[in-house]
Amino acid sequence: MFEFLFKYPGAVFEKGQFVLLAPWPVWMLALGVIAAGGLLLWHVRRNRGLLTGVRSLVIWMLETAMVALLLFLLWHPAISIATLRPQQNVVAVMVDDSRSMAIREGAETRSAQAVGVLDRKLLAALGQKFQVRLYRFGKEAERIQKTSQLNRSLPASRLGDSLQQVLAESATLPLGAVVLLSDGADNSGGIDLDTMSQIRRLHIPVHTIGFGREKPEKDIEITDAVLPAHALADSRLSALVTFRQYGYAGQKALVSVRGAGKLLASREVQLKGDGAPQSEPLLFNAGPAGPQTLEISIDPLPGEENRDNNSLRRLVDIETRKPRILYMEGEPRWEFKFIRRAAEDDSSLQLASMLRTTQNKIYRQGFSDPHELEEGFPVKAEELFAFDGLIIGSVEANYFTQTQQDLIREFANRRGGGILFLGGRFALAEGGYLHSPLAELLPVRLPESKGTFHRDFSNQELTAQGRASLICRLVEDPERNAARWASMPQLANYNEVGEPKPGAVELMDVVPAGHRRMPLLVTENYGRGRTAVFATSGSWRWRMWQDHTDVTHATFWQQLMRYLVSDSPGRVAGSTPRAVLADETKVTLRAAVRDKAFKPVPNAVVEAHIVGPDGAATSVELTPVPTEEGAYTAEWNAEKPGSYVAEIVAGRDKEELGRDVVVFRREDGVAESFHTSQNRELLQKLAAETGGRYYSAANAGRLADEISYSEAGITTRETKDVWDMPVVFLLALLLRGSEWMLRRRWGVV
Amino acid sequence: MRRRLVIRASLVAFSVTALFALQATFRQFPGMEDDPVPVPPDAYEKTEWAFTRLMYPSGRHASVFGDIGSWPTDYPKADRQFVQGVRRLTRIHARSSEQVVDLDGDEVFNWPWLYAVEVGHWSLTDAECAKMREYLLRGGFFMCDDFHGSGEWNVFLESIQRVFPDRPIVEIDNQDPIFHVLYDLGERIQVPGIQYWYTGRIWEKDGKTPHWRAIYDDAGRVMVAICFNQDNGDAWEWADHPRYPERYTSQAYRMGINYIIYAMTH
Repeated sequence: MFEFLFKYPGAVFEKGQFVLLAPWPVWMLALGVIAAGGLLLWHVRRNRGLLTGVRSLVIWMLETAMVALLLFLLWHPAISIATLRPQQNVVAVMVDDSRSMAIREGAETRSAQAVGVLDRKLLAALGQKFQVRLYRFGKEAERIQKTSQLNRSLPASRLGDSLQQVLAESATLPLGAVVLLSDGADNSGGIDLDTMSQIRRLHIPVHTIGFGREKPEKDIEITDAVLPAHALADSRLSALVTFRQYGYAGQKALVSVRGAGKLLASREVQLKGDGAPQSEPLLFNAGPAGPQTLEISIDPLPGEENRDNNSLRRLVDIETRKPRILYMEGEPRWEFKFIRRAAEDDSSLQLASMLRTTQNKIYRQGFSDPHELEEGFPVKAEELFAFDGLIIGSVEANYFTQTQQDLIREFANRRGGGILFLGGRFALAEGGYLHSPLAELLPVRLPESKGTFHRDFSNQELTAQGRASLICRLVEDPERNAARWASMPQLANYNEVGEPKPGAVELMDVVPAGHRRMPLLVTENYGRGRTAVFATSGSWRWRMWQDHTDVTHATFWQQLMRYLVSDSPGRVAGSTPRAVLADETKVTLRAAVRDKAFKPVPNAVVEAHIVGPDGAATSVELTPVPTEEGAYTAEWNAEKPGSYVAEIVAGRDKEELGRDVVVFRREDGVAESFHTSQNRELLQKLAAETGGRYYSAANAGRLADEISYSEAGITTRETKDVWDMPVVFLLALLLRGSEWMLRRRWGVV
Repeated sequence: MRRRLVIRASLVAFSVTALFALQATFRQFPGMEDDPVPVPPDAYEKTEWAFTRLMYPSGRHASVFGDIGSWPTDYPKADRQFVQGVRRLTRIHARSSEQVVDLDGDEVFNWPWLYAVEVGHWSLTDAECAKMREYLLRGGFFMCDDFHGSGEWNVFLESIQRVFPDRPIVEIDNQDPIFHVLYDLGERIQVPGIQYWYTGRIWEKDGKTPHWRAIYDDAGRVMVAICFNQDNGDAWEWADHPRYPERYTSQAYRMGINYIIYAMTH
């Protein structure tokens, strides 16, 4: 219809430039319209006869519009547009040949639909005007000669990478346009901004043809599950499970986590509206040390179309290391004893403590080496940085020398350790921290005044962030957890502190009787590490005022101490940007190698010993990253699906610097089961950003005509008259017809 | 009769205090010693630690002490004099005055270090035994002192074995941290009471050999420290008296301080 009325396809008007071909200037046209309008006004007023004011005005407007249209046509309007020269340009046709294209849409697969579009008309039509280069693509593009070479076997699709490859290969060719046939399922999660802007810079329009339904009728799909790559043994873990559903809004579903076939946690959730992403945290115990494959699933609901996307697997390295925490305490007190007891009950932690029992005596506990730190608090980086966490109790700031204060700051900043500042009569504002360099480390501001330590029993209360925090989670259910905290015994004392600093997270408040509430437990990230303040030394009452079988106090302290150290890196810190290889094989391993003072080591020998799912072992050498001192990297192909454990070992001059474990998992069949709906948004965005158009399979036939209009390749500029468009004559007819009809109705013909 | 009324009134006071979960402050009770000391000016200071004396019933074993029973032996001078040493020799924030608690209310849970004297004359009720057991299992520490000979040992056992029927009482090894946490007390002497002035004997009854015994928890930590055939309380009380030998006082102070530091670290 559009083309019937406007003579040309919509693409001509979208891409062309409007011009007036008459030699006279435009201002003359405007002047002519105004003059004609004036004359007609004079004429209509003089001969209005039976026409009243409004009616004469309507007649004048219709006549003026008619004259304006005629004058406009006299100026010879046209569209100037660049068109690809026939037979001189190349059009790249890229067909998604990944496994997701094998999904059936009614009677035939998406791939079959694409082949149908190409073979029935499109390839032939394009071939009449252009040289056509046909590609299949998955992670990368491959030239093929005919559509029968498509087999829907490629394990992953990466639209951005494949496009860049085709555009690069065609850099020397007169590439006029790209036609991309796909369901938009991209394993990298889309096309990043960088890639998109690189494609856009080439000014080659990418026309996309989408296949597949945009949403299923009845389905629940887990779209992601976020878990930490590492965790300490027996620690509390949180899996943030994201999913969406169609057709089950308002119903209940059971989300579960299983490890080694054993149910670790489950939770019933109410499903949100169709297509709305929904995230639910699931808490569970990490279990014993070793790589742990976790299956996160949602129980299938009646009538689900696809049950394969109801579960996915994640691999977590449950670490064998026992992080060490150094606890410096300035005076004997009950808090110290019960913190020690909580740590002793946690087999994953080692707490070494130094307690000033008298002015000049320090009582050390928890040191395996009887001579370690026997001279007092560390004065060298390698002494302090041997620990993963640091607790500073009721110790005056000036007890530490300037060197020690610098070390403490670097402990969080450079070494990446966690520091916890406790309350007490020599702590925080009372201990002179406000005017010491250590104030920078605190996640709260300190008051100027003294007398801020109060031995008054006080209640504590979780904040909204505290309710969500793993540190404060005593029972799994958030509501029951909040109720549990509300029934806790009072703290024996508290320190006044100021507001949390920007970026800090306030987890718990103290609510002293007759006073305003104030921050009690606050955490923040600092440098590569993290700091926290717990402005009391009176949590021991949680132990002494609850039944001896109650583990609340120990649980809280173990979780707080684990928060301090669980992300403290070792001297060798391994990582991989993608722990799940979804239908992929290539994995990148990285390692940051540091010496005892946690300074980067540039000349280390770094090797990864990788054990695959079948037990086969192999070694890969990591090479230095030129732009990053102390960083090493390697790429490796995971040949088989399943879980892999890579132990990265770094050495220098026959000395081992350290080792770390990285786990990753190759998952096949993701494309067939996950994100199976057409990602129309991505395809439309890609077309819009590059100057192309998005077509559905049904209207893809228009593409062959519209593709010619492109600035890329070898073009010629055409001028297309628009004065003879049927719509112009219809408009003229409408104007005259309307005037005639009105005059007849008003009896002034 | 008047003393009994005072004790009952104080018990009621404790119960009310526990109900409102407020930490009890210092309160002076009638003592039974002839060497009174004034209430220190900072007796009401809120501190981390206070010398907490257990007020226990003596029941049928009270005959030699009268209605009030044996719990206030050496009270309050021993307590206050020992605290002076704790304050001078350690960094513990210690109150100058003692705290008296019983096992009938819950106030004892605010004081994780507990001292009892003359436990060869105590007679805990079953409810008090249960409270003591719970207190110790939660992390409380109990030091008992000044009882002598097999007769008093048996009286002591009669109550403590209802607290822990299934836990043995053992001699503390010389290497145990409790003897080294601040002062090294691997070698120890018997500390006599002031009867030593009159008799010249350092033992009482048939208790010629001093014992440092304990009941341990499941993690190997001392819960109950038993100073048997010795009288640290007198050594503290008479530390300022020229007739009481310094060597006994010195050990008693060190022993008491070690027991406190141990209780605050283990």
